[in-house]
Amino acid sequence: MTATAPAPAPASASGQVSLRRILPPVVTGQELVLLGVLVVLWVLLGIFTPAFLTPGSIGPLLVQVAPIALIGVGMTFVIITAGIDVSVAATIMVSAVVTARVLVAADVPAVLAVLLAIAIGALLGTVNGVLIAYGRVHPIIITFGTANLFQWLGLRVFDSSTVNGIPGTLDFFGRGAAGSTLGVPHSFAIAVVAVAVAWWFLRYAKAGRNLYAIGGNQNAARLAGIKVQPRLVWVYGITGALAGLAACMIIATGTSSLDQSVGSGKELQVIAAVVIGGTSILGGRGSVVGTMLGALLVQTVVSGVTQLGWPTQLGFLFVGICILIAVGTDLIRERARRRA
Amino acid sequence: MTAVDTATQGGRHGRDPEPRPSALDRARVWVASGGLKERATLLLGLIVVLLVVMSILDGVGLTSGRFNSDYLASTLIAYVPLALLALAELFVITSGRGGIDLSVGSMVSLTGVVFAMLYQQAMLPLAAAIVLAVLFGALLGAVNGFLTAYLGYPALITTLATFYAYRSIALVVSEQRPISGPEISSFYSAAKAVELPVIGASLPLVPLGVFTFLLPVAIVAWFVLNRTTYGRKLYAIGTNDTAAQWAGIDTRRTRMMAYVTAGAISGLVGVYTVAQFASARPDAGTSGSGMALPAITIAVLGGVAITGGIGRLSGILLAALLIVWLNASILLVVPGNEGAQAQLLALGVVLLGASLLSNASIRRRSTGLTKPVGVPGTAAGTSR
Repeated sequence: MTATAPAPAPASASGQVSLRRILPPVVTGQELVLLGVLVVLWVLLGIFTPAFLTPGSIGPLLVQVAPIALIGVGMTFVIITAGIDVSVAATIMVSAVVTARVLVAADVPAVLAVLLAIAIGALLGTVNGVLIAYGRVHPIIITFGTANLFQWLGLRVFDSSTVNGIPGTLDFFGRGAAGSTLGVPHSFAIAVVAVAVAWWFLRYAKAGRNLYAIGGNQNAARLAGIKVQPRLVWVYGITGALAGLAACMIIATGTSSLDQSVGSGKELQVIAAVVIGGTSILGGRGSVVGTMLGALLVQTVVSGVTQLGWPTQLGFLFVGICILIAVGTDLIRERARRRA
Repeated sequence: MTAVDTATQGGRHGRDPEPRPSALDRARVWVASGGLKERATLLLGLIVVLLVVMSILDGVGLTSGRFNSDYLASTLIAYVPLALLALAELFVITSGRGGIDLSVGSMVSLTGVVFAMLYQQAMLPLAAAIVLAVLFGALLGAVNGFLTAYLGYPALITTLATFYAYRSIALVVSEQRPISGPEISSFYSAAKAVELPVIGASLPLVPLGVFTFLLPVAIVAWFVLNRTTYGRKLYAIGTNDTAAQWAGIDTRRTRMMAYVTAGAISGLVGVYTVAQFASARPDAGTSGSGMALPAITIAVLGGVAITGGIGRLSGILLAALLIVWLNASILLVVPGNEGAQAQLLALGVVLLGASLLSNASIRRRSTGLTKPVGVPGTAAGTSR
């Protein structure tokens, strides 16, 4: 107590020094491994299926990666705080169906539709956050519960049928010519920007560092003066908002009709991308760059299997193996680090 | 614990002149000591409330069909797999260290397909096919267990990976087509409703699966959990892994066995779904939101602590019963598609309500804010 008491003045200076000391390297080992694996996979696929390394094949792949990577950014935040959100699929569903219905009913501009989708997602995410932060029940239980509620909500809006005749308002995010500039799909570019901002935020912003502290030890974080509960609400709210934005991309990449299975299974795909990216499911450690690479890897494997002419479902066997290998190498390095 | 002490003391000091505690007082003490917060009691209460409400609605004529014992018994066909898989989750979640099994649905699909291949295509006798299917399920569970207990993978990751892997294998091996045939069609008799012998005439027809699948497993599980050293070890490692290790328990082996058990039970459910649908659907356990999420939900609703070490068979069986009957009731009150949707709402509300409520009451007890008995509107009033 007495030792730390007389040091209020140089706190900011020493804070700067220690920040540099505790920050992980700009690129972690896991990210290098993933990058290497991706390059090898792409080269191999390029050799065995000549069609793979063409813009006509890479473009759609990136379009499909975008929503996963985008939600993955939020999910990385969540998992860094030692939480989890299994309700994102249901959030996508609600956001997508409401937006689609509004698009069909009224001729709204794309910006409004996107804002609406994001707002719905953020609202649902905030519900998660409030229940988790103030209810103090394990996040997986809360989000299992809210996933059911959101699904009910979404199905009510669907009203036992599909939403047909969705206009092309959101083509900005789509697969078509309107969806990309100079060969880069807009949705993927948005995901990259989101990853870049989140990378800066997690590394240099105080609020971002706080997330690691919360995940490392929630009680210690609280005692260190971090407002844990508002932070948690915010984190789940952001994840919901990103799921809302991803819902727009999913509407745009689909056909002109939307059925009730929209978003189904996405929660596990997102979690898979995050853990493959080296984010520890136990909290306190993780990176959004890894998540982006993880999302790319998952989609590459799934698309690659299809392009090789193997059964599509076989791709998910490789996804499972990827998860085990990625997390396994991370476990080994973590053990070596602890021994050092 | 403290609530009991203060309650009994308060009773002794405050009410000396009274000759002996009346039934009402004893009930109050029981309530204040957490009797109502006991998960089994809460669930039983909710089931009774549900039955009473539905009987009234049935009497008034607001239901689309008859709500009677025949209807309730017939819904038990859905109860068997739900309760069994929740039981599998009980073993895994109780083993602690973030134990959870997302892959049960995939294991159900895969063992169902394997069972159908053994029974229909390899023409094995029924008993041999069932035993092999269950062993195969145990093997799948052993993979989960080895990765989690021995290699140190977080359970969520292991079972997420095997969820994808097993589901994929089931779909590829079966070429995404359900397997059926004369043998499997006749195997449907294992799940259909029967009249019980001796007393059956006065009772509703109960699905046979309750007796052939659920009851034996439940009895064995109860015995293992409560009357064997393995059960004690399981609760020990779930409560405190380090302490259990120092007490000489092989924590890794014990944890692995929990996953093996979950796999074996999933294998049995795989066989059951083949009987229930009269064909082996490769997506039986994974279609829609899958079987794992409801199973975990039921387990949590049944009072299994997600942090491990706490969980009882009675809670599982009652929670599954509550959900199955609640779903069945909703279908009678809300007809058609809306009814199926309302089931989602009900499940979410019940799960959130139960977990938030029990958490609040645990906190109130642990922080000592529970007032002693005799003060109206305290523990008794707030615990519903």
